[in-house]
Amino acid sequence: MKISGQTSRPGRIAVSALPDPTASTMRLSVFDTFRDGRGLDALLVLLTLVYLIVFGLAPILYTVLMSLQQVDMFTLGDFSRPFVGFANYVDVLTRPEAGMVARHTLVFVALSVACQLVLGFALALFFQQDFPGAGIMRGLFLAAWIMPGLVVGGIWRWMLAGDNGVVNSLLAVTHLHPTKIFWMSDPATSLYAVTIANIWLGIPFNMLLLSVGLAAIPKDLYEAAQLDGAGPVERFRSITLPMMRATLGALVSLSVIFTLQQFDLFAGMTQGGPSNSSNVAQFWSWQLSFQTYDIAGGSTIAVLMIAVVIGVATLYVRSTRHEQIG
Amino acid sequence: MQITLDGLQKHYGTYHALKSIDLAVPAGQFVALVGPSGCGKSTLLRTIAGLEAISAGTLRIAGEDVTRRPPRQRDVAMVFQSYALYPHMTVAENMGYALKLRRLNRTDIARRTQVAAATLGLEALLGRYPRELSGGQRQRVAMGRAIVRDPKVFLFDEPLSNLDAALRVHMRGELRDLHDRLAATSVYVTHDQIEAMTMADHVVVMRAGRIEQQGRPLDLYDRPASRFVAGFIGSPAMNILPGTVDPSGRAARLDGAEGPLLSLPMLLEPGRPVLLGLRPEHLRLSQEGGARFDGVVDHIESTGSTTFVKLKVASQAMVMTLARRLDVTLGDPMQIGFDPADLHIFDRESEASLVTQRDAPPRAGRA
Ligand SMILES: Nc1ncnc2c1ncn2[C@@H]1O[C@H](COP(=O)(O)OP(=O)(O)OP(=O)(O)O)[C@@H](O)[C@H]1O
Ligand SMILES: [Mg+2]
Repeated sequence: MKISGQTSRPGRIAVSALPDPTASTMRLSVFDTFRDGRGLDALLVLLTLVYLIVFGLAPILYTVLMSLQQVDMFTLGDFSRPFVGFANYVDVLTRPEAGMVARHTLVFVALSVACQLVLGFALALFFQQDFPGAGIMRGLFLAAWIMPGLVVGGIWRWMLAGDNGVVNSLLAVTHLHPTKIFWMSDPATSLYAVTIANIWLGIPFNMLLLSVGLAAIPKDLYEAAQLDGAGPVERFRSITLPMMRATLGALVSLSVIFTLQQFDLFAGMTQGGPSNSSNVAQFWSWQLSFQTYDIAGGSTIAVLMIAVVIGVATLYVRSTRHEQIG
Repeated sequence: MQITLDGLQKHYGTYHALKSIDLAVPAGQFVALVGPSGCGKSTLLRTIAGLEAISAGTLRIAGEDVTRRPPRQRDVAMVFQSYALYPHMTVAENMGYALKLRRLNRTDIARRTQVAAATLGLEALLGRYPRELSGGQRQRVAMGRAIVRDPKVFLFDEPLSNLDAALRVHMRGELRDLHDRLAATSVYVTHDQIEAMTMADHVVVMRAGRIEQQGRPLDLYDRPASRFVAGFIGSPAMNILPGTVDPSGRAARLDGAEGPLLSLPMLLEPGRPVLLGLRPEHLRLSQEGGARFDGVVDHIESTGSTTFVKLKVASQAMVMTLARRLDVTLGDPMQIGFDPADLHIFDRESEASLVTQRDAPPRAGRA
């Protein structure tokens, strides 16, 4: 942007220095302001700022505000509601289900991120080997990524169905687990049912990012390591992993954020049930706000989650800042 | 340790990159592989290293057949054009990596790294990361990583091509010194014939996946076996002009020239179309006698010590270098002489040298 502004500047001066600088000069310079980028720069920055404020900052601030106020259905349209300080926070955190939801959220995020990363990495390494059809197969994996969460939830609900689901019959055929598992209606497994679906959903993204990271590692490093006497495992340990540090850091941060945003699968599969056995913070927040109309409570959870996301995002930014090793 | 290549072939799919390469590198020799871009120099080096599978033929290092062995069982070290330093390791870690993989203990690694660093003047840089080094320093670290292992063979793939001209000349000398001090066996790839001529004991000229000629540097210069080698070795390149043998068989005339005959150092059948080769540095300004022809000054350049004169001879371009200054202007006529013994003659069809066939056995192919 800066460069284009500078390079066309002399051109504009040349135009106004023509022997007859009449009305056309005026028109040209206004037009030029946009064409050579300066006016356009400002406009683009302004648009972005407006967008961020209206759709990013304002809702967050409004949520924070509501978490500090007493809100009910009748005061929804008002800003001037009674302030209650941190009473909402105390209230939400001392509810009987709070500890359980926090634990579920932690399990859901940790399992999802870890499994997505490991499986995504394995697939990325697999597709790194150039075999015929690698490109097409990798492309097919991305299909999972473009499907709406609710659809994915529906598919997994069928696959995990207790009586005639594909997963149960596979487990029976392979004698891994001959009796039926009622994945979504058994409180012991409901959270894992959603987690499995979420892992499946997140693998393509992980694979894609890791593939990009792997492709960026110069081939000659592996060749040098080979000549230095490193076998495949050693090369992975001492070249691949350290070279992927920035990518891995960024990916874990992004995965945590995406997993904390995962709502559709819960809506599509278990509705957080049975009896909160698969309830997580993001779904609980929605339940409080839009099912029980405890909007202050829902906002409070949302604010707590925003705090976590900001923390993770900070880590992400840190890890991308160190991306240039080499 | 000696390296022996026997009928080595390399195919990339349908592309035949190396066509029956025979090469013997005695222990302690410095061998340079030269040739134009894409002729297979790097491929040959990488097959010796084990980074490319050998399609056919055998490779022996120190007498052992290593054709099918992976790189780490060949005990060769390679210096890459890009240096390929591990960016996340310090200089010391880069150099010690191979030793660590051999499970040497920490003190041994530190000691050997120190020794190698001292050899290359890297002591002060051991704690730095590659990104904190200049190009020349990186080059040294890449060297250090190779010598610290004390390998059987050193392989270099255009290691100096990323350095500026002055440093390149300096490193040439240093590299050769290092080779002598370590009593190493080295194979050195370059596309710069001057590097090859100045550094190597034995030069291998490659062309399109084959060895065109190999031998001692000055032998290649004095007796190029083909027009290709003649044009490749020597700078500026040899002047090669089409000519025809005179009815007497003892002289030749440049095609398109009315002018005088160039006397030949041997007898050839009259009327045979040939290529006449004369090195720019073998041409001189002539007063009288000897073989001579007329030219017109077309362009003149001087570096102070050397004068490059571009001439038009019978509407063909020719270059002459003189080790002194010259006071002429463009368009001046000039009489040029040379010693008939310096004349190279190639067959027009096969482009093979006709002189070497008489004077010395051809050294192309099997050594
Ligand atoms: N992996 C590969 N697959 C197919 N062809 C290849 C491969 N590597 C090299 N080649 C081909 O083999 C030939 C020799 O390549 P090589 O890299 O050995 O050339 P070079 O002599 O080192 O050239 P340069 O001086 O440009 O480095 C080239 O024509 C190249 O296109
Ligand atoms: Mg090469």
